Amino acid sequence: MSNKEENWLERNTFHHGTFWDLIKLVEEKEKKGLKISLCIPTLNEEKTIGKEVLILRSELMERYPLVDEFAVIDSGSKDKTLEVAKSYGADVYLASDILPEVGDKRGKGENLWKAIHQLKGDIICYVDADISNIHPRFVYGLVAPLIHRDEITYVKAFYDRPLNYSSGLRPSGGGRVTEILIRPLFSLFYPELSNVVQPLSGEYAARREVLEQIPFPIGYGVETSHLLDLYEKYGLETFAQTDLDRRVHRNQTTNALGKMSFGILQTFFNRLHAQGKLDRMPDLETFYRRFEVEDGNYHQLIQEVVEEERPPMIEIEGYRNRSHAS
Amino acid sequence: MPIEQMENETLLSAILENLPGTIEKIRARRDSFLTDAVLLGEIPSPTYGEEERIRAVMDRFRENGLHLPLVDEFGNASAQLPGTEGQSSILVMAHADSVFSSEVRHEIQVGSDFMTGPGIADNALGLAAMISLPKILSDLNITLRDNLILVANVKSLGRANLEGAHGFLETMSLPAKAGICIEGSTLGRLSYSGLGTLRGEITLQVPSDYDWQRFGAAGAISHLTGLVNQIREIPIPKEPKTRLVFGGLKCGSSYNTLPRQGSLRFEITSEEDELIGQMENHLNEICEQFSAETGTRVSMEVVAKRKNCEIPFTHPLVRTTRSIMQEANITPKVDPSTGDLNALILGGLPAVTLGLTTVENLREINETVQLEPLYGGMAQVISLIQAIDQGICES
Repeated sequence: MSNKEENWLERNTFHHGTFWDLIKLVEEKEKKGLKISLCIPTLNEEKTIGKEVLILRSELMERYPLVDEFAVIDSGSKDKTLEVAKSYGADVYLASDILPEVGDKRGKGENLWKAIHQLKGDIICYVDADISNIHPRFVYGLVAPLIHRDEITYVKAFYDRPLNYSSGLRPSGGGRVTEILIRPLFSLFYPELSNVVQPLSGEYAARREVLEQIPFPIGYGVETSHLLDLYEKYGLETFAQTDLDRRVHRNQTTNALGKMSFGILQTFFNRLHAQGKLDRMPDLETFYRRFEVEDGNYHQLIQEVVEEERPPMIEIEGYRNRSHAS
Repeated sequence: MPIEQMENETLLSAILENLPGTIEKIRARRDSFLTDAVLLGEIPSPTYGEEERIRAVMDRFRENGLHLPLVDEFGNASAQLPGTEGQSSILVMAHADSVFSSEVRHEIQVGSDFMTGPGIADNALGLAAMISLPKILSDLNITLRDNLILVANVKSLGRANLEGAHGFLETMSLPAKAGICIEGSTLGRLSYSGLGTLRGEITLQVPSDYDWQRFGAAGAISHLTGLVNQIREIPIPKEPKTRLVFGGLKCGSSYNTLPRQGSLRFEITSEEDELIGQMENHLNEICEQFSAETGTRVSMEVVAKRKNCEIPFTHPLVRTTRSIMQEANITPKVDPSTGDLNALILGGLPAVTLGLTTVENLREINETVQLEPLYGGMAQVISLIQAIDQGICES
């Protein structure tokens, strides 16, 4: 590992416990005149959304006014997600109602992208809706480095135990896709980014000025594309990561992870193309193939997975007009 | 009518008049209180293992600006909201321990009108209610003349035999004039008496030199079954009200191996302490005789014992509580307590236990509390504190 990377790990890797003093954090935020928006993208999350909205609003808007705006942006839930979120005071939006002139695409990335237009904060913090052990640290642990350090623009969550620098051990705590797909890819093409402990974690906070400059894959590739695009534009120095300890969420089936990996790979190779890292690449397939076993026989299942993308928000007329109007 | 009584009735009328408004204000300010219930409820807190939950309670006491936050030698967390006069104190307790072990996944689900999870009713909700009192009082612009002493007591359930509550009361520096125990379950609960209780565990062992050829030889399960049948022969009177409950049986590990050891947990409750003593003696005799006749080793351990205690139904504290419940449209259900209330009343403190809301699946993994009745449940506690503060509840 290079000195630069070691320095980055030491300076830009935090533990949420460092930021326990929320009174001081709110003071610092107010001194810098920052506004913070919190966005939870949802699709059929009635079992966990109530607790997330209740705890995060109560602790981070009412008890400690760290968050200025709290929105749930939904992809068209069929369950009681919206009713439950509203009952605990969240501002609830349908992604399809935001910037209707650009159309409606179904996916988490769409909600995150449209949040940039809908929300007013200088910092936007995204938290997944399926966290069953939600705690205020999932937000303050991510926004605190942005409040304290002006040069940091994007903060990513990681979980489980902190890094152990002295022994050289660095348990990642990553999921299967991280370990089997992302880390080998990063090691091959973006070695510096392999220092990001959990590149696929769904919790991160970023400054508006960087979020509006990057495209957003609609589906599985959004977390990967953020890292690759911001790394290409600004380098490792503007990233930070925070250990949020334990995160409990739904376990995904291996089939679901396969589909997810397929989407991520599309995003990844698109970047390799765009950044000239591969000389010649064939057009990528959009069909994901997997096998199913029935009575000892293998059947191939083919499923289309297209990773659509949104352009940088700054290119959207509606967004630019909104900026001028405000 | 004596002047003092007339004054008290006027004061109580004013409190009761405000009750509907209090319920609505509590409903509008529910979030921080419900948040505390979830955050505390998700920290496992089995009896004798409450430290982490107590740390969280202490954090809240400090964040809420309470005076003298302290963890005492027994592990109880306490703090004070000083009164404007501070001549006397009101004690509010909620037990911090739960029947669920640390291995159980403590996850609370929050719906728009309910919360579900292990221990949310017993007693994460009660604990959160106690912690939130200073903030709710402040939001409602209620200032107390008395000091409000808040206690999250540990070691309350099962074998602990109210150790935390007894310990706190024995070492409490400020004398209190009345006490309230808060439980999540169940709205309408009105306890003003403590029921005489004996909890015990009978252990049966088949010794290594046991003669398996003797007449009636059997494994521990068969023997324990025989023992249960003999215990069931003990006459239990209807008056004074008395009950014997078998609450747990542990024995065996497979389908086809005769177990050599087993244990049986039971509880005797009675309105008559002497009767409990007689039943204890009877049980000891049965164990001794059973042991001699079967060649097994049978021993009985008493793990908790409480005496009967009460304040009268006509005590002003009970009378005022009933008036408040009536005004809040809560139907009182008189329910003698086997919990912390015993420690308070035996310690000489007039006290009641109140429940906060309706509960399903109590002490199951999917314990569920309804939110709508909760606001009335909280309002009754606030109103009772006001009444005690204004001297209405003194005999």
